[in-house]
Amino acid sequence: MSLIVDDLTVKLYTNFKKKEFFNVADSVSFSVQNGEIIAIVGESGSGKSFLGLSLMRLNPPYISEISSGNIFVSSPENSEKINIAKLKENKLSDVRGRLISMIFQDPNVSLNPVIKIGDQIIEAILAHKKMKKKDAADIAMHYLELMRIDGKARFNSYPHELSGGMRQRVMIAMAMVLNPAVLVADEPTTALDVKTSLQVLALIEKMRVEKNVSVIFISHDLSIARNISDKTIVFYAGQIMEYGKTEDIINNPVHPYTISLIKSVPALSKDYVPREKLFVIPGSLSQNDFKSGKCRFYGRCFKKTEECLNNISLLKLNGERFVRCINIK
Amino acid sequence: MDDNKKQEVLNISNLSKYYFSYGSLFNVRKNIIRAVDNISFKVYEGEIFSIIGETGCGKSTLSKLILGLTNKTSGEILYKGDILNYNLKKLNLRKKIQIVFQDPYYSLNPKKKIYKIISLPAIKNKMIKKKDALHYSIQMLKKVGLDENYVFKFPHELSGGQRQRISIARSLSVNPELLVLDEPVSALDVSVSAQILNLLLDLHEKDNLTYIFITHDLRLVRHLADKVCVMYGGKIMEISPVDRFFKGPAHPYSKVLLESILAYGPKNILQFADADGNINNINNINNINNINNINNINAGIQKNNRGCVYYNLCSRRQDKCMNNEPELKENEDYRINCFFPYNL
Repeated sequence: MSLIVDDLTVKLYTNFKKKEFFNVADSVSFSVQNGEIIAIVGESGSGKSFLGLSLMRLNPPYISEISSGNIFVSSPENSEKINIAKLKENKLSDVRGRLISMIFQDPNVSLNPVIKIGDQIIEAILAHKKMKKKDAADIAMHYLELMRIDGKARFNSYPHELSGGMRQRVMIAMAMVLNPAVLVADEPTTALDVKTSLQVLALIEKMRVEKNVSVIFISHDLSIARNISDKTIVFYAGQIMEYGKTEDIINNPVHPYTISLIKSVPALSKDYVPREKLFVIPGSLSQNDFKSGKCRFYGRCFKKTEECLNNISLLKLNGERFVRCINIK
Repeated sequence: MDDNKKQEVLNISNLSKYYFSYGSLFNVRKNIIRAVDNISFKVYEGEIFSIIGETGCGKSTLSKLILGLTNKTSGEILYKGDILNYNLKKLNLRKKIQIVFQDPYYSLNPKKKIYKIISLPAIKNKMIKKKDALHYSIQMLKKVGLDENYVFKFPHELSGGQRQRISIARSLSVNPELLVLDEPVSALDVSVSAQILNLLLDLHEKDNLTYIFITHDLRLVRHLADKVCVMYGGKIMEISPVDRFFKGPAHPYSKVLLESILAYGPKNILQFADADGNINNINNINNINNINNINNINAGIQKNNRGCVYYNLCSRRQDKCMNNEPELKENEDYRINCFFPYNL
């Protein structure tokens, strides 16, 4: 296991003085094997990006905090096991990048526009390892080549000289350069078009095969999750709604929310007919859903009954399949 | 095909748009960027004509040319038999051709109330009087599935999906015949985009609107379109009816594009036969690695201006393609710009 998230709860304060808060991630537990890709899927505003940030303790300080739970990250190489959730602030920068690193959504804003891309990668290496700058440059060059970027020609380029897909590949190179055990990818393909996004996905897949990195792939698009991941978490209002193998979830979804999500994408469900009306999930996700004691999907569900007004816990179906719903048959 | 009985809405012949860039002040030599290069096609009434292609293939420039937002370099656009000229008041083209933009967050004026945004095009075109604006915009809102409570709101009070509805209502307010949809759902969430797609199909059925649907998402093409036009490097690679295209694309580039969606879709819907008639199912990303779109990741458009623009990336290229303009294979149903297409 390279990452074990155990009962993680993250508070987000709406009013710090009056201690008003809601749980933006509510007792989330899952684990990732070495070289496994796990997708976290949900609507915008469901808290999936916040969860991704919390895994690295990058959640904004003062307005949010991890109130309980553990995040164990372990490296397969030297059997160290670190609990990120309980780590002291000054030790964090040692872990970030070395054991767990992140790719962000928009490569246009996450690279520094006034530093050459080669130097930005070298900076990441030298922050963790004591070595000569020239050796670091060789490593950086190697990783650029791995990402199919012409290292010699592009090493001294500024970010604005690269295309969007190329910038995202530089971001992956930078995240992978210290050989982390876990890579958190927060919607790495939303800013790209179909063909470039496929290239980026293929390179993430390549890193998984060659470097044996575990990937947490956050996305709002089930069809991309289906493409790349081994397991899928369907996330809604801070809770895991359904969790299991990706093929199982796409081919026979159990939770009403998963069923609705699949039906609302063209050409994803089994009984799809072109030009037929797509399913629309009524209403929208609001902040109040995070605070409610009943099932958080209650207001928008097509299967709701009176029993759904109680607090519903995650049920184990079979093997590694979990569902948070009581109206299943 | 019963296309011949239908009326032609748009007839584009040999249309080109070049942009020029200069190296420096003293560098006299011009660089020519061929955004749209010698394009011809026809759009018939009541058709959903979709244009697909990756970023920078010239599909947005083409939509600008159709809307008269930029001047063409050469060629001709006919709208129902008349030369497309927005300056001629007789034709009143602004009333007939409208656009829905990609991003609903930037395309609505944040300082104006919704009823003003919706009614302004109609007032400018003298279809309604200013005092009727409120009543008229309520009508338009109902058409796109919103109620009258929204008329006095500002754009920032609405969600992305609601804004895109307002954007569509604004375009519909002048009763257009042709609607250019420039990636109308790519900025929206999955469940919201389903709503907008349903609305667009509803309007298409009710008012017999003609759509030019610009996108890079082939799933949407599969869902909506009648005809597919594939563009690359400013040129048209292939025009086919949707059913034909998804059964077996003819152009090598179309096949690469289709493989990228095959990886997204389920097994039973999107399958196609290869040259020997075998049915291919590519559902795993590993299978795509060996196809040229990953291997030639840095190669781009060929710019020698003689041969095929897709030469650098093509898997079926031969020496002939390097320096000769690709052969046009055409009949009333489809058009393919390639020497060596798949299963024709």
